[in-house]
Amino acid sequence: MSTLRAALTTEARKAVTSRVLRWTTGLLLASIVALTSGILAAKELGDPQLTAKLGPIVALDGWPALLAIAAQITAAGVMPALGIGLSWIVGREFADGTITGLFALPVPRWAIALGKLVVYLVWTVVVAITLCAVLLALGLLLGLGGPGPSDWQALTRELSLTILVGLVAMPIAWAATLGRGLLPGIATAIGLLVISQVMAFTGSGAWFPVVTPALWAIDPDAVTLPQLALIPSVPLVFGALTLLAWHRLQLDR
Amino acid sequence: MTTGLVAEGVTRVFRGGAGVRRVDLVVRPGEIHALVGLNGAGKTTLMKLLLGMLRPAAGEIRLDGIPLAALPASAWAGVGQVIEHPLAYGDLTARQNLLLGARLHGLSASRAPAAVDAAIRELALEPYTEVRARRLSAGNRQRVGLASALQHRPRVLVLDEPTSTLDPAGVLLLRDALRRSSAAGGAVLVSSHHLDEVARIADRITVLNAGRVIGTLDPGDSELERAFFDQVLADDRAEGRA
Repeated sequence: MSTLRAALTTEARKAVTSRVLRWTTGLLLASIVALTSGILAAKELGDPQLTAKLGPIVALDGWPALLAIAAQITAAGVMPALGIGLSWIVGREFADGTITGLFALPVPRWAIALGKLVVYLVWTVVVAITLCAVLLALGLLLGLGGPGPSDWQALTRELSLTILVGLVAMPIAWAATLGRGLLPGIATAIGLLVISQVMAFTGSGAWFPVVTPALWAIDPDAVTLPQLALIPSVPLVFGALTLLAWHRLQLDR
Repeated sequence: MTTGLVAEGVTRVFRGGAGVRRVDLVVRPGEIHALVGLNGAGKTTLMKLLLGMLRPAAGEIRLDGIPLAALPASAWAGVGQVIEHPLAYGDLTARQNLLLGARLHGLSASRAPAAVDAAIRELALEPYTEVRARRLSAGNRQRVGLASALQHRPRVLVLDEPTSTLDPAGVLLLRDALRRSSAAGGAVLVSSHHLDEVARIADRITVLNAGRVIGTLDPGDSELERAFFDQVLADDRAEGRA
């Protein structure tokens, strides 16, 4: 227990002082707010090209429009951002050479990896809560008034979307470990995003747990309960694979 | 049972032929053991094997008589090491790095600050305690890494080229720290290119060449450099490399 606490404490300290995580969080929030505001403004101005692409959202106004646009952007944009953060948390020691310092310790490497994954999940929840708070502030700033009950539901879905995407991003941790660095993790994040987009586009994504959160957030009725129930399999399987890879790690390449 | 760190017939060869072959080595308590060799001789590979960063293809490594494969994680609390890069995160200050290192080496949250303060004094890091590691010179980052490896008073210390980036003052501080560790019963293994430096601190010198132990040197030998090159050249000739 004390070794787990040591691993968690040290990983949390590293995350709190990390410039990469601070910048990633800031850029993600700024991008989503800027894009949501921009699309909302263009919709209000009746931009024909944009309204054609917005589909059913074009019929919405006020909070429903803001939150639907934010969900669309979050569904596509949050995976690369969280992927960079996860890849950094797991792969930084490989990249800067300090990985040798994580050997020959009474804290087992699988515990260090577990500390990293827990810190990543906490960061994901912080990003999700901050994003919702920022969207709430944006709506109030735009004079939309207080959100109604259905708007709070949409905001809760936005919160869940970020957290669920954070969970299904877990293969990135495994890739950063196997690839011994940040870039394999970031490449995996881009790969997952591309696969998600293609499967969402072809309408075949609801059974693919990496895509399910986005489809559910955009249209809750389009996803069934068994499909949602598959989501935890991704963090469980790839989280376990990551711990195993750290347990068996050798510095042979 | 031999205490300290022991390698018996250890082999690990990489694609291309580099690595170590059938290496026997004993690092005894109370002794500073130096590993010398040319670049690519296998010093770092051997140290990585001794610390579990690599698994041997053949042979066995034991810490205080227990094979590494059967070693409980808690046994590593008695080991300190710096291999290739010091454990110094750029975003953290020198003190934060040392506190982190202390916790990872098994010191409790209550004991860590005193150990960190002592290590800061030992390596003369007082002016840099609140400076982020990324702003430190390579030599001072190395001092942080060495302080992190020493602060929990390990019984076994493994340092790969520890003086390579240190200034002369840092070399003197490290030399004193290693002597104190050894005098307190610590088993110390250091690798180095600097034979004069090795001669000043080592009780025993092992020569590694092309991945094999080819002999030993007498630290008191006034012609240490000549003796080293004689051994390496003789080995290269015998193996058809020269």
